[in-house]
Amino acid sequence: MEILELIQSNLLTPIILFFLFGIVAARIKSDLKMPEAISEFLPIYLLAAIGLHGGIEMRNTGFENMLIPMFVAIGLSLLFTLNHYQILRRLGKFNLFDSYALASTYGAVGAVHFSVGLSFLKSQGVTSEGYIAAILAVLEPLAFIMAIFLTNVAVSKQIRAKKQSFADDESTTDIDVGLHQTKTKLSQVLRESVTGKAIVVLLGSIVIGYIIGEEGFEPISIVFDEMFTGAIVIFMIEMGIIAGQRLDDIKRVGVFLTAFAIVVPVFNGMVGVVVATLLGLSVGGAVMFGLLMASASFIAAPAVLRHAIPQAKPSLYITSALGITFPFNIIVTLPILFAVSTSLHAGEGTIDLFWHATEVFR
Amino acid sequence: MKLYNVKLLTITCEILARKDILDILSKHGIEGYTTYEVEGRGSRGIRGQGLKNEKNVKVEVIVREEKLQDVVEEISRTLFANFAIVLYVSDAGVLRTEKF
Repeated sequence: MEILELIQSNLLTPIILFFLFGIVAARIKSDLKMPEAISEFLPIYLLAAIGLHGGIEMRNTGFENMLIPMFVAIGLSLLFTLNHYQILRRLGKFNLFDSYALASTYGAVGAVHFSVGLSFLKSQGVTSEGYIAAILAVLEPLAFIMAIFLTNVAVSKQIRAKKQSFADDESTTDIDVGLHQTKTKLSQVLRESVTGKAIVVLLGSIVIGYIIGEEGFEPISIVFDEMFTGAIVIFMIEMGIIAGQRLDDIKRVGVFLTAFAIVVPVFNGMVGVVVATLLGLSVGGAVMFGLLMASASFIAAPAVLRHAIPQAKPSLYITSALGITFPFNIIVTLPILFAVSTSLHAGEGTIDLFWHATEVFR
Repeated sequence: MKLYNVKLLTITCEILARKDILDILSKHGIEGYTTYEVEGRGSRGIRGQGLKNEKNVKVEVIVREEKLQDVVEEISRTLFANFAIVLYVSDAGVLRTEKF
């Protein structure tokens, strides 16, 4: 019962209501539109606020205890991406390119998810470990890089197989060229995502937050702390409008991918919360860790994937991530993760996972 | 006034294909171009709405006839299959041919 109540009260927060409002506005074909400058400004603002907050927290707690959670997060993210690929390719019968693109979209993290999560925790009066913002920055390019690498390996394998069936002589040169292209592609992606504005803003403000600390933050806290939730609310109108415009496309996404877009994030998020709890993160920290695992990328994903795996259909990965997973995650998954985390932390000492799983769904 | 005959190559495409197009142009030694954001409707539905990365752009390039064939061939071979893209060529006249 507790979960339903949480979802219900979450549904009536301004963030969710304005998101739904944006969807309605798009559905009735209103000409409501965010000015372009604002919709470009808000992600930068949100990332700067996340980074500052994270940097200040890291100054208080230090770097040492962030390393293990970070490596675990990297491992989980890669593992999930591989797992998604198998599900999509084997069960969903998607082609190689779509499978890898979707797998990495769901293995990657979303900064918008993260902002909503932070303000959800704020409204519950719970804090989280600041270094999770740094994990966000590290995870951002990771799933894509792996998916791109594996796609290129698969493609050059196919080329090699075809070559061998034709002739055995001097077939190596073309493969070498292919492998070389793969390498340049990967280094380009790595360079572009590391110097991309999302990571630059995030890392920059983590460093600044770390330098200025609590006292230095005082004079700017009215902008970066008190206005944070309000800014997300404005951003959610925009997100709602874009999601609303895409609702028609959901039919084309198909039943399998729709189910995938709902089940997989919840599963990943639960695993994330449990793992984070075992690592000793706080209630809020485990929620944010789980949310990182549950989130799907829809702003960074097309920019990276369209170049690296152009054969994959963006209508699939953007629509499922933005039109299905994002609304579901912020409305339903987030309260679920919070409830799971709270109940895991309530039972001190040994953690009986099965008991909690049944308890949560009662 | 003497006008020299050149070709105007116009490419309307999704914004994420712009970089590939500019790369191809510069590979063929064409450094000058004009690009602007546009909206419109094509075989992939209404384009130019929503996220920044889903915008549409138009790239206009003045090309000498002898280069045109190669450029168009490479764009159509590498980009047509996977991107939202429309390409057309028209005749144009310029005064200062040495610029192109």
